[in-house]
Amino acid sequence: MAEVLRPQMMGARVSRLEDPRLLSGQARFLDDIQVPGMLEVAFVRSPHAAAKILSVDVEAARHLPGVYAVMTHQECPVMLWNKESYKVGQPALADGEVAFVGQPVVAVIAENRYIAEDAAELIRVEYQAITPVLDMRDAIQEKPRRVHEHAENVFFKKSRQTPGFDEAFAAASHHLTASFRTNRQTAVTMEPRGTAAMLDAASGRLTVYASTQSPHRMREDICNLLDIPEHLVRIIVPEVGGGFGMKAACYPEDVVVAQAALRYRKPVKWISDRLESLESDVHARDDIHDVEVAFDDDGKIIAIKDHLMADGGAYPAYPWSGAEGETGLAARVLTGPYDIPYLATDIDCTYSNKTPLGSYRGVWGPIASFIQEGLVDRVARHLNLDPADVRRRNMIRKEQFPYRNAARMIYDEGSYLESMEEALKLIGYEDFRKRQAVLRQQGRYVGVGISVFVEPTAMASSEAGEVGYESCTIRIEPSGRVTAAFGLGPSGQGHETTMAQLLADQLGVPLADIVVLHGDTDSAPYGGGTGGSRSGPIGGGAALVAGRQMRERLIKYAAHLLEAGEDDIELGDGKAWVAGVPDRSLTIRTIAQTAYMDVSKIPEGLPIGLEITGRYLPKRPVTFSNGTHIAEVEVDVHTGVVKVTRYAVANDCGRVINPTIVEGQIHGGVAQGIGAAVLEALRYDEDGQLVTTSLLDYLLPESTDVPRIDVHHIETPSEGEGGIKGMAEGSLIAAPAAVACAISDALAPFGGMVDTLPVTPDMVLKMVQDR
Amino acid sequence: MKPAAFKYFRASTTEEALQHLEAHPGSKVLAGGQSLVPLMNFRLSRPEVLVDINGVDELNRLSVEGGEVRIGALVRHQQLAESVDVARAVPVLSTAAQHIGHWAIRNRGTIGGSVAHADPASELPAALVALNGSVVLRSAAGERRLPADEFFQGFFNTALQDGDLIVELRIPVSKSRFGFSEVVRRPGDFALVGAYIERAGSSGAVTWFGLSGRPERLPVDAWPQGESDRRALLERLVGALPVDESEDYKRAMAVNVAERAYHQAEGEK
Repeated sequence: MAEVLRPQMMGARVSRLEDPRLLSGQARFLDDIQVPGMLEVAFVRSPHAAAKILSVDVEAARHLPGVYAVMTHQECPVMLWNKESYKVGQPALADGEVAFVGQPVVAVIAENRYIAEDAAELIRVEYQAITPVLDMRDAIQEKPRRVHEHAENVFFKKSRQTPGFDEAFAAASHHLTASFRTNRQTAVTMEPRGTAAMLDAASGRLTVYASTQSPHRMREDICNLLDIPEHLVRIIVPEVGGGFGMKAACYPEDVVVAQAALRYRKPVKWISDRLESLESDVHARDDIHDVEVAFDDDGKIIAIKDHLMADGGAYPAYPWSGAEGETGLAARVLTGPYDIPYLATDIDCTYSNKTPLGSYRGVWGPIASFIQEGLVDRVARHLNLDPADVRRRNMIRKEQFPYRNAARMIYDEGSYLESMEEALKLIGYEDFRKRQAVLRQQGRYVGVGISVFVEPTAMASSEAGEVGYESCTIRIEPSGRVTAAFGLGPSGQGHETTMAQLLADQLGVPLADIVVLHGDTDSAPYGGGTGGSRSGPIGGGAALVAGRQMRERLIKYAAHLLEAGEDDIELGDGKAWVAGVPDRSLTIRTIAQTAYMDVSKIPEGLPIGLEITGRYLPKRPVTFSNGTHIAEVEVDVHTGVVKVTRYAVANDCGRVINPTIVEGQIHGGVAQGIGAAVLEALRYDEDGQLVTTSLLDYLLPESTDVPRIDVHHIETPSEGEGGIKGMAEGSLIAAPAAVACAISDALAPFGGMVDTLPVTPDMVLKMVQDR
Repeated sequence: MKPAAFKYFRASTTEEALQHLEAHPGSKVLAGGQSLVPLMNFRLSRPEVLVDINGVDELNRLSVEGGEVRIGALVRHQQLAESVDVARAVPVLSTAAQHIGHWAIRNRGTIGGSVAHADPASELPAALVALNGSVVLRSAAGERRLPADEFFQGFFNTALQDGDLIVELRIPVSKSRFGFSEVVRRPGDFALVGAYIERAGSSGAVTWFGLSGRPERLPVDAWPQGESDRRALLERLVGALPVDESEDYKRAMAVNVAERAYHQAEGEK
């Protein structure tokens, strides 16, 4: 068989096929779904962090003109409870008690959202407040009480230790301790969550429009929770304005909307507003790490000991708690790109009276990188060594691949040291140190932070679920045009472009002849969806597998119809021809016509038509991308305000499908990373009230906060299909650490080091004053 | 996040607006809507009647005459920021106006709205106090003029009465030199704390905002020449203000921004 054609589209800077509709306002998001008679939902949410519900009076609301129905737990007796993993589940609508501010208690279904909100105000819920559980360390000790009477607060506990750890740790000549804290954040997608559901009276099927990342997972969840067979449910994911892992979960509101459509046989829609988004989208990053590091005189790190703690909130998000995700993987990749032989980790994930923790881009990574790079910098400062040199000394070397880390994770090949050297060049490290010294004389404090990251991608299980493979159905239509369908759930990543690029190379057709469908369970083959940086390597792998199968079929057709050997057939520009004899050619259209209309001419052994579903399950359970981010910051020591002034990235995600898209992903991740490092925090007061309930209080990075970003690509192919590695999370894994390390570097004359994110102005001033 | 139901009137003259305000006690004036509309969407503000003054052209005048800058209530922040006349007459006002929100907010938000809302961390009310400005109010009973210092009474609290409409702000053109500085987490945010400094010969004043419930103007008899003396004076002045005990950061910042504003004032004109 002929090898894959010289790739033309893979690696090309193809403009995103999605952009014209997005940029011209033609894209249709969830709130654009309108059908006649559609009702809208408003939720009454808990104003208490913890309370018993004594009574619920919905009569006044039920009688407000325009109100169609009011639902409580009685009308929607569904528990979002993954019983295999957790002793606790969350009722879709509160059942006798509430456990966090923002928990849905009652749903009002009305002619429009205005009336629904008017009616929601008329509902009287009598609460008896209980002492909330808000402090992570206390909660782990079961103080002041258990969040759920019948379950211990610590719901996930795991210890792991490299054999020989204690001896190695004790034998090291230097030890340091530090406690690292990351504060609650959430994804804040530009388009909030939303769901619309409607029953087709004729077929009895339920259609659910869902702003989600995993269409098939959503179908499974809705079917399981509401006890409907899956062939009677169709999930359609319209345009999604950002997911970032936050939209990987199934939420109570999804279930309530679907239940309302079933129960009242009316189309029903709910769209989250920003207040709901901040209090009820899964939160993330609520972690504490108590760490000890052991190293020798040269700065070679020998052992790390970490007590990882995460506050999972009131309930495990369904079906999976982000606290477990953040700590579980952090404990396995805590050594990052460094060859640190000994690791001991203890994990405690606790319940609290806060919003459930779920996944947010990078999940474990931004936290682990913050610690890993923070430790390297502490070692460097302790020994008065250059931070870049300490990294060089500890970095995993080329000859060590495949590398097994101290937690027994296997890393495939990467460009760890090379990426750092490239990034140092991009930022002009040597010059910077000179400039830094001069500026310090003038009372200006600039710093650089180096963040070398590893990013496990294309994992067998991730927030996208346990489906380790992805599927692609290719149908070449009688016209020769291509319809390809995937089970992916893109939320802005440009899969329609990248998947079409891969298919175009395989099928020898122009990009414009391919349409990529996704997000509709009626058209898409079964798949895991988008999350955990899997769509490129696994979805792309499925495109390559299916594309290759289709390519083989096209070649058989061409060889048969052109009376040539299969080895001599070439494909391109929508045609097949005999190598070296371009006149002996036919179009893909002709092949397609034959396959569908002129079936007597189909080569022996081939089926009628041109339709194939290919599936791809990577051989390795994970492939590691890597790279280095370097941030330069200036810290105003009089106001405590941090400005990120320059930024360099050397990124290696294996073979790049589309550099422009990869760079866009990096730009977004860096912006979010700057937010994580200096701006974004969800704050609760001592009563468990969320006090950051608008974007006036929850500060997102704005264009003026993000500097120009220089990106350099390195390509170390994976062993998987196409050599592709995932890359959607690495930028947010690396960026917070880069900025945090840069602030520590800038403030080195004052002695302190950043140990808490985000770094707020008052924290900076304290570091300056504590000198 | 949908507002409670309200009645809506659109006025095309000041008189018409006043009639609506008079007829509907508790009604609110809608101008740029940059604060009022979000508050209504949160249902934190639930006026039964909105009187929209966006069509009242006579409130949209900006001029420098008779030794005063006269700013109609409906003048947008961006107009103020871009006005050459204002930049000549009271440069610090131009500078401060450029720090109000983002361009989109400045295009929509009005001077009258900002003053009526009286956010203690916003730039314009403090400018009015720092520059010895006044607020011209009109109601069915007639027109009155209040010094800014009397107009702003506390957290989101002003001397506005039911039936009052802010029609104009007046700011005297002064011989003093002024400086402005503020600390923000992100460009365009409300200030964590900010200061205006007035230097009239060796004396002057400092006006802080974002520190307490209202802009605080404190006269200074003699500005110390040395930085450490000046800082000591500023620290004493901040110490006398009703700043929450927990706000260590803000007190420290207050001195730093005032010091920066002091140097700004040196460079003005």
